[in-house]
Amino acid sequence: MKTFDYIKANSLDEAGAILAASANGAIHSGGTDLMGCLRDRIWMEDVDVVVSVASIEELKHIRKDGDALKIGAMTTLADIAASALVKESCRMLAQAAQATASPQLRNVGTIAGNICQENRCWYYRYSYRIGGIIECIRKGGKKCLAVGGDHRYHSIFGAVNRCVAVNPSDTAPALVAADATIATTKRNISAREFFTGENGKSSTVLEKGEIVKEISVPLSGDGVRSAFKKVALRKSIDFAIISCAAQIALSGGRVENATICLGGVHVNPRPMDEAAGVLKGEALSDELIECAANVALEGAKPLKGNRYKVQIAKAIILDTLSDCIL
Amino acid sequence: MSANEKVLSLTVNGEPKKLLVKPHWMLSRVLREELHHTGTKEACGEGACGACTVLIGDKAVLSCMTLALEAEGKCVETIEGLMSGKNPHPIQEAWLEEFGAQCGFCSPGMIMSAKALLLRNPNPTVGEVREAMAGNICVCSNYEHIEAAVLSAARKMRGEGA
Ligand SMILES: Cc1cc2nc3c(=O)[nH]c(=O)nc-3n(C[C@H](O)[C@H](O)[C@H](O)COP(=O)(O)OP(=O)(O)OC[C@H]3O[C@@H](n4cnc5c(N)ncnc54)[C@H](O)[C@@H]3O)c2cc1C
Ligand code: SF4
Repeated sequence: MKTFDYIKANSLDEAGAILAASANGAIHSGGTDLMGCLRDRIWMEDVDVVVSVASIEELKHIRKDGDALKIGAMTTLADIAASALVKESCRMLAQAAQATASPQLRNVGTIAGNICQENRCWYYRYSYRIGGIIECIRKGGKKCLAVGGDHRYHSIFGAVNRCVAVNPSDTAPALVAADATIATTKRNISAREFFTGENGKSSTVLEKGEIVKEISVPLSGDGVRSAFKKVALRKSIDFAIISCAAQIALSGGRVENATICLGGVHVNPRPMDEAAGVLKGEALSDELIECAANVALEGAKPLKGNRYKVQIAKAIILDTLSDCIL
Repeated sequence: MSANEKVLSLTVNGEPKKLLVKPHWMLSRVLREELHHTGTKEACGEGACGACTVLIGDKAVLSCMTLALEAEGKCVETIEGLMSGKNPHPIQEAWLEEFGAQCGFCSPGMIMSAKALLLRNPNPTVGEVREAMAGNICVCSNYEHIEAAVLSAARKMRGEGA
């Protein structure tokens, strides 16, 4: 690993100032993704300073505030998964946090780091120690190695900026389905607008020195049920091949509102609005759910080596929606 | 002190330590190479196997994914901290009795994950044991014995004998 300077920030202002003054500073929350990126030296430009915000206490909270659930950026996934408040007001988020990585990683991994993590395309992450760095399109280069190579875990909904790496975050689809808002040191960004594939070395629209402060999830009323499901090779540790978060609001036996978001199928978490639209105004039935799952995958454009993911995507939508009804 | 070395103060197995570290050193490296606590293993080096698990406070964490400087001011416990004098800890006893180790490489990390579980939940169900140990891989696939050892350790620590 290339060395760097390390500074523990006591406040976000301090962290922001250090980042702004640095050539290529990196924010450290739990560090569970950042350490891998630094160890493998996957980025074209070396990081000169690591600014740790992990010990800023004001950023570790889960509380109800008016009509929203507020989660501080440094709240760990373990705390979110165990929180009675999160389980009660946004079950899919607690389930997504619980499904992430392993107990040790959830103990330090934070919600901010989870949504800001780098993609896991194995060409993109090809380690310096074994012959990297690979300067693919996502890093400003000319070629995508995945399209002609092994893309079994890549996008089934086409490319963004010619990159087909999927966003690996488990909490991202839950935050999109919950219509959460992400507050940074500069602005509020809706979860739907937060992710991007076009930003060089990042998965988000954040600018240099911009830090995630808090996540705000609208509180759902009575009759709202949500669920998160994940398909991975192993139950623990592994990233999702595909994940799904869905929320359904029922009123008088009919669907008043629904959101569905898939993870692991596209460069960004993929809201399935047309599929959700199929459910609206209807009474839920197995046939209706099946119809929604088919509609969701109608526009799929799998690559040669990942057609299997289309079937998994349909199955996981069925499974997630069924869990919302129970 | 070379340009980018920093002073790290932390407590390891109850003993205060103060040493110079490079900012990019991981806690696993400091434990093994600077403090010579080689019980903590580093196997995959990418956070995916659990062999390097130690406790920071009462939480199980991966020392190969933790910058040493992140442990500033914290209490770290490693497998070396478990014995009291010459007596093994009940989890270590259970590991011997239930054949928790085959090759033994995963045992230090497994045992630290077990300790973290039993600190917060003295009476875990089988499901809770599996969930708590899910970040630790045993290449010998000795999982049944490991599960039995954790359950036995829990009984011992509750004073119920094995
Ligand atoms: C073996 C292994 C398995 C994993 N499995 C999963 C999985 O199943 N699902 C999953 O979703 N993730 C998984 N992860 C990835 C990672 O551990 C988690 O996503 C974790 O939540 C990241 O949080 P962190 O606080 O450790 O992030 P960090 O490593 O601290 O940060 C990640 C990135 O976000 C940036 N960042 C951090 N905080 C902020 C902030 N406040 N504002 C702006 N930018 C910020 C950092 O600069 C860095 O680039 C896995 C990782 C490993 C090593
Ligand atoms: S999928 Fe994206 S990240 Fe992977 S090699 Fe292609 S351009 Fe790079």
